[in-house]
Amino acid sequence: MTVYVLRTLAKMALTLFVIVSLVFFATRLSGSPLETALGEGLTEEDRTMMIEYFGLNGSIWEQYARYLRGVVEGNFGLSFLERRPVADIVAERIGPSLQLLASSLALTLIVSLPLGVLAALYRKSWVGSAIMTLAFVGYAVPNFIIAIFMILLFAFTWNLLPVVGNGSPAHFIMPTIAMSGVLIAALTRFTRNAMLDVLGQDFMRTARAKGLPESVVVLKHGLRNASVTILSVLGLQIAGLAAAGNVVVEAIFSWPGIGELLVASAIQRDYPVLQFGVITVAVAVVTINAATDIAYAYADPRIRLSRG
Amino acid sequence: MKKLLLTTAAVLLATGVNAQEITVGAANVSSYLDPGRDHSNVGSQFYYNAFDTLVGKNHDTLELEWRPALATEWELVEPTVMEFKLREGVKFHNGDEMTADDVVFSLNRMYQASFAPYVVRSKDRLGNFAEATKVDDYTVRVRVEREEPLWETLMNLQQVMIIPEDYTKALSGDPNVAEDGDYEAFSLAPVGTGPYRVSDFQPGEKVVYTRFDDFWGDKAPLETATVIRIPETASRITALKTGEADIVTNIAPDQLDLINADPNLKTEGSATALFHVMIMNVNHPHLKDPKIRQAMSLSIDRDLLNEALWLGKAVVPSTHTMKEMGALHQPDLVTFEYDPEKAKALLAESSYNGEEIVFDAFPVYYTNGVLAAQAIMEMWAEVGINGKLNVTEEWTGNSPDLMARSWSNPMYFADPFGSFGVMWAPEGPSEGAGRFNTDEDYAALWEKFRFSADVADRNAAYAKLMDRIKQDPPVLPLYRPFESWAMNKAVNWAPKPGHIPYVLDFRAGSISLSDS
Repeated sequence: MTVYVLRTLAKMALTLFVIVSLVFFATRLSGSPLETALGEGLTEEDRTMMIEYFGLNGSIWEQYARYLRGVVEGNFGLSFLERRPVADIVAERIGPSLQLLASSLALTLIVSLPLGVLAALYRKSWVGSAIMTLAFVGYAVPNFIIAIFMILLFAFTWNLLPVVGNGSPAHFIMPTIAMSGVLIAALTRFTRNAMLDVLGQDFMRTARAKGLPESVVVLKHGLRNASVTILSVLGLQIAGLAAAGNVVVEAIFSWPGIGELLVASAIQRDYPVLQFGVITVAVAVVTINAATDIAYAYADPRIRLSRG
Repeated sequence: MKKLLLTTAAVLLATGVNAQEITVGAANVSSYLDPGRDHSNVGSQFYYNAFDTLVGKNHDTLELEWRPALATEWELVEPTVMEFKLREGVKFHNGDEMTADDVVFSLNRMYQASFAPYVVRSKDRLGNFAEATKVDDYTVRVRVEREEPLWETLMNLQQVMIIPEDYTKALSGDPNVAEDGDYEAFSLAPVGTGPYRVSDFQPGEKVVYTRFDDFWGDKAPLETATVIRIPETASRITALKTGEADIVTNIAPDQLDLINADPNLKTEGSATALFHVMIMNVNHPHLKDPKIRQAMSLSIDRDLLNEALWLGKAVVPSTHTMKEMGALHQPDLVTFEYDPEKAKALLAESSYNGEEIVFDAFPVYYTNGVLAAQAIMEMWAEVGINGKLNVTEEWTGNSPDLMARSWSNPMYFADPFGSFGVMWAPEGPSEGAGRFNTDEDYAALWEKFRFSADVADRNAAYAKLMDRIKQDPPVLPLYRPFESWAMNKAVNWAPKPGHIPYVLDFRAGSISLSDS
């Protein structure tokens, strides 16, 4: 078991090293901060001075060595624009992003599991068709359309919900729905299909033959067995969202989250912020993957056994 | 319906139109607040509420009307030395009293800069200023290298606003030495002498101003003013409608009707003291012949761009001048015009052989920037120029491969030196970037325009400079964009004509709230 944990940790360290290096070189390939709007109206001499001030002097390998030294010491540098530690900046933003992610996840589970099960049970009636049509539409409509449409109705026209920031529970309603839209649609479809696979199995007939109530048959014997598929889909989707898939929603609702921060720092070539932000997201994705693995084990005892 | 009304009332109460509090939804909020190193359009919004200069200005008028501010009087004691008597009893927001030491520190951090961002900023406009020295606790002398015709103008700049010495030096490292770290820390926790103190600052997100009760002048009319970032236009307008914001910035002309149709809302706007320009690289192998660049400029119908993109609200200039420049405003000069026939004739005479001329444009940085560039490509095609639009985030203005691109020339202060003068000076940013050449004759004219004591001499020299630009054009000012703010009708606020662009002025006499 110890060996297994150590091996996992070593793998994680290697993954993170590769990510740190890739991010370092990829950001620098995209151009220097002095080639964006920051460099307007600077003379050559001024540019040299600013390059030194930002610590961008020396060859890219010297900069890389400096950067790695900093990372080992836990010093990820200062933002070019704000001149404060990037860890402080990202720390401010990660909380609101995680809150939004958590509320979207909760909404997705609450809505799509029952819908998926219903769609499977009533697959031949209008209920199933209606649910699947909704899911199809939800899958096809991008989140910013949903967001703008909701703003138009609930804020602009009826003035029922706030649109700016994350100040109160009411602020969560529209961004959460916008974020979950596609996720709900996807998960409803996957839940339905997973349930259909399970519903036709022999053990379901056995359960019914035992005289178990229909709710126990469907939820305990059916949904429990379908959950492995559902979990793996969910894990992938969350990882996608955590990896700055929420940029647009954050921008529309002025949500002080990390996706918006990453895009802004990429545009301004604020390397230190971008590097640390991407690393943070990478750590989050790795953690979510690990959590998904553990959740599998709970859902399916065979996975636990096979790992020894 | 009753419920909706209640919600609306609750929101109105929450935003506190009656409590002398307002919320501003801004498209962008600064990443740092240091008046010295900043000259960005985003930053300009924020300094005037919290900081003062030695020399003040009446912003209600376009005329240059100087007023006592942190200095109560000033006089020239030698041809190159101005003596300033400081106001007594002025308090900084941290409680320190302002003395000559703070003033000398603030000025010399720019005049004798060691911090790279200050060096860069002071060179282009404060190059003539040598040093500030203390005479006694309330008297300061400032020495310039050459006789200075723009004393008041250059003592009224955002970059020479006064900050506290002891507070700043103690922010990092040795409390008795001014280090780079001190200036970096200051820009996250700024302290000035203005009517509002910055009580909360989240870089890029939020600035909160709170009334400063020990302010030396008229008390601030608002208890608090909160500026929050709302990047998305639709969200800014919605926030105004729901009452989450009382004023919102950066409203495009095509949104004005929508807002003005609402009985509770209104808009205020003005043609910003800033030119969107097209720059041309005079040293590019394909563009060396001035006739080609003249044709590129003459073929552009700027009035049509104004009508189509700005509903006619922008201002198209005949030369590089603005009415804010008072006696130095020269609207009669005709440096730039639209004449497609002449453009065709010049092209025929020139060395142009149909080479592709690439026009670079930022995708979103300038309002209507890409649309204007697309229209310019069509206008070029009309006269036979083979243009190609290249939309890119990259600033290509320093590249030798640059042919033409969009840029802006702001008015950093109300003088031709504050606009054309900074950008197109000998050895200035344009020449330094390798896309503009000057010679001795140009430099002599520029010196005369910059330093002549007599306004008529300055104007004459400037007219000659404009003629040089006309003959061998590196730039074409397209228009002054029309910038609008939208607000609740209960808010009485409008941009004042005497300010540099984008200033959010919430001082006494600049804003009030009606009881609604």
